[in-house]
Amino acid sequence: MFQNTKCECGHQNSVGTVLCESCGKPLGEEALSDLPLEMRYDGVARRSQKANPGPIDRIWSFFSSVKIAVWLIVLTLLASTLGTIYPQEGSFVNFSDPTYYEKTYGLPGKIYYALGLSHTYESWWFIGLLVMIGTSLVICSLDRVLPLYRALNKQQIRKHDRFISRQKVVYATRIDGDPEEWTQRFEGALQRRGFRVHRDGTALLAEKNRFSRWGPYINHIGLIIFLLAVLARSIPGWYLDDYVGVTEGDTVRLQGTNYFIKNVAFTVDFYTDSEMPDRLKGTARAKKYETKAELYQCTANCGAVGEPQLTKLTAHDIIVNDPLSYNGVKVYQFDFNMTPKLKAVNPVLIDKVTGEKYGPFRLSIADPEPFYELGPYSLELITRFMDFKLDENGVPTNNSREPDAPAFLFLIKGPGLPADGETFMYFPKQKDKQRFSQDMINRALADRFDIVVGSMEGVEFTGPESFLNVRIDRAMPFIWIGAAISMIGLTLGFYWNHRRIWMRIDDGVLSLGAHTNKNWYGMRGDVAAALRKMSIEIDPKSLDNGGNKT
Amino acid sequence: MTGSKRKIVQIAILIGVLLLGGYAIGKTLFSSDGTPQVGGKPPEFELAAMDGSVQKLSDYKGRPLVINFWGTFCPPCVKEMPEFQRQYVKWKGEGLEILAINLSEDDITVTNFLKRFNLDYQILRDRDRQTEKAYGVRQYPTTFFVKPNGEIKEIFIGGMTEAAIDERITELFRN
Repeated sequence: MFQNTKCECGHQNSVGTVLCESCGKPLGEEALSDLPLEMRYDGVARRSQKANPGPIDRIWSFFSSVKIAVWLIVLTLLASTLGTIYPQEGSFVNFSDPTYYEKTYGLPGKIYYALGLSHTYESWWFIGLLVMIGTSLVICSLDRVLPLYRALNKQQIRKHDRFISRQKVVYATRIDGDPEEWTQRFEGALQRRGFRVHRDGTALLAEKNRFSRWGPYINHIGLIIFLLAVLARSIPGWYLDDYVGVTEGDTVRLQGTNYFIKNVAFTVDFYTDSEMPDRLKGTARAKKYETKAELYQCTANCGAVGEPQLTKLTAHDIIVNDPLSYNGVKVYQFDFNMTPKLKAVNPVLIDKVTGEKYGPFRLSIADPEPFYELGPYSLELITRFMDFKLDENGVPTNNSREPDAPAFLFLIKGPGLPADGETFMYFPKQKDKQRFSQDMINRALADRFDIVVGSMEGVEFTGPESFLNVRIDRAMPFIWIGAAISMIGLTLGFYWNHRRIWMRIDDGVLSLGAHTNKNWYGMRGDVAAALRKMSIEIDPKSLDNGGNKT
Repeated sequence: MTGSKRKIVQIAILIGVLLLGGYAIGKTLFSSDGTPQVGGKPPEFELAAMDGSVQKLSDYKGRPLVINFWGTFCPPCVKEMPEFQRQYVKWKGEGLEILAINLSEDDITVTNFLKRFNLDYQILRDRDRQTEKAYGVRQYPTTFFVKPNGEIKEIFIGGMTEAAIDERITELFRN
């Protein structure tokens, strides 16, 4: 359909223009009404408004619609609330049990898990919504900010009568004297109220705080940076949130990095009974726990071959909310476990017949020696089990990788024994010795020999285990930058408003119209104050042309 | 801005959104946490063999592979080891390699355990569970069947009967 978009002032407007870009005359449907004007975006057409849209234009105008943007935001809000019904998978230190939700929450939990709501914020459709909001932010802003910038940058001073008379703040009167001289004095009055005035003979345009119009767009730029930063977390190496348990004295790798952390010492202070309320007396409440930690970097043999070469980077005493921090890696105190684990025993070999004792010798659980000389006898380590058990065929095997039930199989050689020796099974833990019937396993040899730890001094335990939370978030500075820009934009838009006054005098008749994006009360006050300087006393309320909320 | 210039800007922005958005959405759809999937490539590793030599996955390029994760503490892993040995004898003439990666156990445990068996296929040693994590292994045993072109044909979790192993290796050679 052909549409004549040329205004009577001679300006050629684009399709969709509501108010002539030059003289401000209402166009199209807007011209038929007498109500106050729709001043949004100064009546200019959005960039995407076109006579014959192609497929790209259609996609473009879909995302350019504020209505669509509001729906996207509402949908995202609703989706976000779904993710808060049950804990998300990511909130568990190590989520691996697919039946957890069903077991804990019953059928709703099963449905929740089956729908994938247990990882709402990582799901394709949630990320999809965020991507669409991002697209909408870019396109909406671009489509409006450029035409608005152009419109505000080349405003015509002498506006069409109907443009002025249909503003929400209007005033008209007959003035005596020289209109040019009157306009000049009025210019001065407006300037004193902080307006920048452009005068064209007997017409003027006064304007202040135009910059506040850019607030929403600056806010959008900040939000886009924010969204991109969150997206950037998926770049390898940018984001890590992992947990690691380190026993005192141990050095362990931070998974997925080349860093190693050493727990030099772990200490915990508990509250005394006098510091606690009655109902908590007698319970162990940690007051402060601290890991003296050292961070290392692997420089060679960092894979699974050879001894890793470590270089010390930094050291820090980690307490809650005071992490070790190095080059973007942060290690937080998370938890601790004071239960000691067996580290080594110092037993003696007893000849039950003579009562003679040989030893003691140090037997490390994790790293035992292959051979021990004990007087006339020798112990050769055949094998060691970390977590002993007998399988269904009665063959000794390991139950796990953890040293929960260590067991040592020795070959004993010496006087009174066969030349190729006899085997002897030793369980350092008394509990295991009975559970697995050490004496039965060793049969006749159990009557001749025993390996025993004399006293508690003969037992070495590992220190407490400190659980640390390792975090890397390289996106964080960008998130802060985005948030700061967004805040600046919001502040501009919230605390300042763009006020404009148009005035023209034709044949001694003054017509004045004023517009602001908010705070109409202040706008009317500005106009009335400037008029008062011209000896026109009016009640600011009387300037109201209707259609305002404030 | 002229119409054609505007069109270029529109297309550029839409392509940018498509690329960034596609990357973000695709990441959630196709790779759970960067671990290998069926149809993908197994991650490269460099591990010590029992003879002390260093073995890389890339050393076995172009050959059908069975990559098995096992531990002495895992009964089904132990049970299938002699079965893998028989399958290795059957297929090695045709170029099959079996790489059995131990689950980061210590020297004494692994060395003594292997004395009980007579295994000819390659036993490799992981450390700090690095390879295990890279492969996303959560349950044991887990076995990866890799086609000669380096593509993962199947990821089998749990113990296997010899017939099941044989059937899968036959499939590898069919490709």
